[in-house]
Amino acid sequence: MSNTSTSPSVKPQASRLVAVLVLAAIVALAAATPFLPNYHIRVVNSLLIYILLGIGLNIVIGYTGLLDLGFVAFYAVGAYTYALLASPQLDLHLPFLLIVGIAAVLGMITGILLGIPVLKLRGDYLAIVTLGFGEIIRIVINNVDWLTGGPKGIARLDKASILGVEIARPVEIYWLLLVTVFLVGLFVWRLERSILGKAWAAIREDQDAARGIGINTTNAKLAAFATSATIGAIAGTIFAASQRFVSPESFTLQESVLIVLMIVIGGIGNILGIVAGAAILILLPEVLREFAEWRILFLGILMVVLIIVRPAGIVPRTFGPEKLIRGLFGK
Amino acid sequence: MTLVFNNLRKQYGANVAINDVSTDFAPGLIYGVIGPNGAGKSTLINMTAGSYTVSAGSISLDGRRLDGMKKHQIANSGIARTYQNIRLFDQMTVLENLEVCAYPAEVRNVWREVLWPPYGRARAAARRESAMEILRFFGLEGHADAEAGSLPYGRQRMLEIARALAMNPRVLLLDEPAAGLNHHETAELTAKLAELRSPERIMLVVEHDMDLVMTLCDRIVVMHHGKLLFQGTPAEVQASSDVQLAYLGTDNDIDDIRAAAQDRRAQLGIRARRRS
Ligand SMILES: Nc1ncnc2c1ncn2[C@@H]1O[C@H](COP(=O)(O)OP(=O)(O)OP(=O)(O)O)[C@@H](O)[C@H]1O
Ligand SMILES: [Mg+2]
Repeated sequence: MSNTSTSPSVKPQASRLVAVLVLAAIVALAAATPFLPNYHIRVVNSLLIYILLGIGLNIVIGYTGLLDLGFVAFYAVGAYTYALLASPQLDLHLPFLLIVGIAAVLGMITGILLGIPVLKLRGDYLAIVTLGFGEIIRIVINNVDWLTGGPKGIARLDKASILGVEIARPVEIYWLLLVTVFLVGLFVWRLERSILGKAWAAIREDQDAARGIGINTTNAKLAAFATSATIGAIAGTIFAASQRFVSPESFTLQESVLIVLMIVIGGIGNILGIVAGAAILILLPEVLREFAEWRILFLGILMVVLIIVRPAGIVPRTFGPEKLIRGLFGK
Repeated sequence: MTLVFNNLRKQYGANVAINDVSTDFAPGLIYGVIGPNGAGKSTLINMTAGSYTVSAGSISLDGRRLDGMKKHQIANSGIARTYQNIRLFDQMTVLENLEVCAYPAEVRNVWREVLWPPYGRARAAARRESAMEILRFFGLEGHADAEAGSLPYGRQRMLEIARALAMNPRVLLLDEPAAGLNHHETAELTAKLAELRSPERIMLVVEHDMDLVMTLCDRIVVMHHGKLLFQGTPAEVQASSDVQLAYLGTDNDIDDIRAAAQDRRAQLGIRARRRS
């Protein structure tokens, strides 16, 4: 990081090249996707949903340094909000954007409610308690049949539409996701660089010293839980609208762990790292589909190797979007 | 405006670390707090800053009780501190370590900052500029973008003081700022600290380096076994045989106190080198 700014000639050019290559790859992939067969578009859509989830969870794990293993709960809150408000289940058919707004508020509220009891916890204890919360929400969904349909889930969800434009085909969902990921990513990136983002980092580095400089760590942490949960819930509504079916199976502990892995492997605390981590963990299994039973073994080995070779993740924390932009314009 | 300790007491189980200390500190002066290991110097700072609770008695600033407040509220009442063992935000940059001190004042506008880029840019620039000003004062401006944890030990000490100063405190509590510094760095630090003396500011410096204490401080508070043993000007302290007794257990003169402090500094130096 600091060496890029101090060492003269070579480094800026190298980082510029990397920036151009990374951006070119992203743009090419984004532009090519609509022309792919539906099956492949669905894979890209699932990638984008995981990126969205990763961006959300990273606020708590990467920025604030709190290991949250129950993130999937907020994803479920968003998905079931859509399922209940846009299906024959309660015979409600609210417009998509309104439901996104409701889900965001509900996500925020559950984020704060689940955040309050764990404010004093850190590390392993926090991980275990949040894991419990995630499971509790899934078990509740499983058991209140009259509302959620229990294990059978809720089917025949409405097609989403925004201002009269229907969003149901994979390619339409793709555009919706692309725009959402961009807007949420931009928002979170600005948040990271704001005074609140810096306070989160200070809490991550040394919570007690952070209090010592006047940071109300309770409020700052709740803000992290709330924004993170809001993003999880928004991802959930889009997920439900694209599947047009929800069931508790989609919200297991495994999902939470997968999102944490994406963050850890990609590069903790860095939006670009999440994109890389999601690409590896979501796309690679698809590429390796032919190898059927070897797939998991191969992924496992890759993960072990990555953690040994790059313990801080594939993308360094300092190689964020800012670096890309700087690299591109040679500043 | 004064900082007042009233019958202050701190107990860890049966161990009485601070025993009925009453005194006050006036703005504009630099107070040295000295005393042998375990005398309770750090405990005084920790209680004032809210890191430790108070067992009995009270601490107040301008008549406002500080004990009982939450730690961040105490910080926001104008109390800033450094730690005996450096505690920086290691993975943040040197600049960010200072910028983040703007949080209490600016957090209420954070959504505006995030959603309205021109406002965000203006705030970021203002924060950067005031942080750079302090970094320049401490000669750290060249390290602004380095990770705080990567700085050499002596620079980290300076940065910790810089961070405390970025809070624009009315009370500055420094716990052994010269520990682990070499002669040259200690001299530089002494000069910087002298410049921080200001009519509105109370400064407390816990320190074993007698040269630093004697040259820098206007008043000296001597702690011994949790009690306030003596309080006075450097000349008065040097003349007091009680103080020498407390420090060395013998009735030798101030040169021996110095020698003991040097000894300790050498030990800390070894620790510091191992750290970095
Ligand atoms: N967290 C703690 N728990 C239990 N006892 C403590 C704690 N902190 C300090 N003490 C005890 O309180 C007494 C005073 O300790 P303190 O750290 O204030 O001394 P000090 O004057 O700062 O010494 P030094 O010069 O070694 O830093 C000591 O007996 C110490 O063992
Ligand atoms: Mg001490």
